[in-house]
Amino acid sequence: MTALTVLADDQFGAPTPDELFNLPPIIAGVDWFTKPVLLALLSTILVIGVCWAAFASPKVVPRGVQNVVEYGYMFVRDQVARPFLGKDADRWMGLLVSVFFLVLIWNVMGVIPLAQFPVASHIAFPAVLALSIYALKVYLGVKHQGAGGYFKNMMFPPGLPKPIYLLLAPIEFLSNMIIAPFTHAVRLFANMFAGHMLIAFFSMVGFWFLFEKLTPLGAGVGVVGVIMTIILTGFEMFIQFLQAFLFAMLAAMYIGGSLHPEH
Amino acid sequence: MSEQERRPEDDGQDFANAAWSIPSSLLAGMAIYGGGGWLLDRWLDTSAFFPIGVVLGVVLSVYLVYRKYGR
Repeated sequence: MTALTVLADDQFGAPTPDELFNLPPIIAGVDWFTKPVLLALLSTILVIGVCWAAFASPKVVPRGVQNVVEYGYMFVRDQVARPFLGKDADRWMGLLVSVFFLVLIWNVMGVIPLAQFPVASHIAFPAVLALSIYALKVYLGVKHQGAGGYFKNMMFPPGLPKPIYLLLAPIEFLSNMIIAPFTHAVRLFANMFAGHMLIAFFSMVGFWFLFEKLTPLGAGVGVVGVIMTIILTGFEMFIQFLQAFLFAMLAAMYIGGSLHPEH
Repeated sequence: MSEQERRPEDDGQDFANAAWSIPSSLLAGMAIYGGGGWLLDRWLDTSAFFPIGVVLGVVLSVYLVYRKYGR
């Protein structure tokens, strides 16, 4: 447990990002195989397994696991896909459901006992997902609007005086082609990173002042730490769900924007 | 794509598009023109173009956002 090494000192030290996120390989010698990689693999298996269990032999009247997963599917369809894709929604449900559930499970790993590590707090994971969506967005835009049309619709919104386009086109290009995919990944990463830091900090406060160095004055601080850990864990679960939803929603928005130019 | 009739979900879509692209437009405006000003400053050894560029970028992005979504 790397997080406990700070307790060797005589003074309380807040956990540093290096201790929390720079985890050693699980098997010595296999450097790439760390806890986030293991959790990402488990999440993938879990998502595939649950969907398989639910929809391998679907019943007209759903029961058990099919009932639960169908509820999640309907949520993605009604809240994520339909508002942005309209009649194209059903074609993209496979992708959107996979993205939503995968990111949700990645995030929820942050509060599952023993796992307790949000996969997306390593930026590589959300970055790969966001880049895939970005590649899809550009591909669909070029396919449906033509290479020239796609960039024209993006950089030259109709209804502006001609000379002003010269000034505004670079803003639109930077905003759509670079900042949008960047924030898509960073939003998820930063939320998970910060949430994990907060929970780790307060649980460390509780552990240190109640178990390691129990003093009459410190006990109160420790109790506050434990209470804050509980409150923040609840809050974090809400954020985990919200970020998974936003990630899938933005994916649907980018896809929809590529299928139909903005009006 | 051909012109389509307006669907009820279009309103929510427009709102979400606006809500999500306004911050990145503002950021892009500041970055492009602030960055340009910064480069000019480095080149000419001055210090005025960077703040001018940032303000110009914000003004242009606000104008862009207003014209695109402000009706």
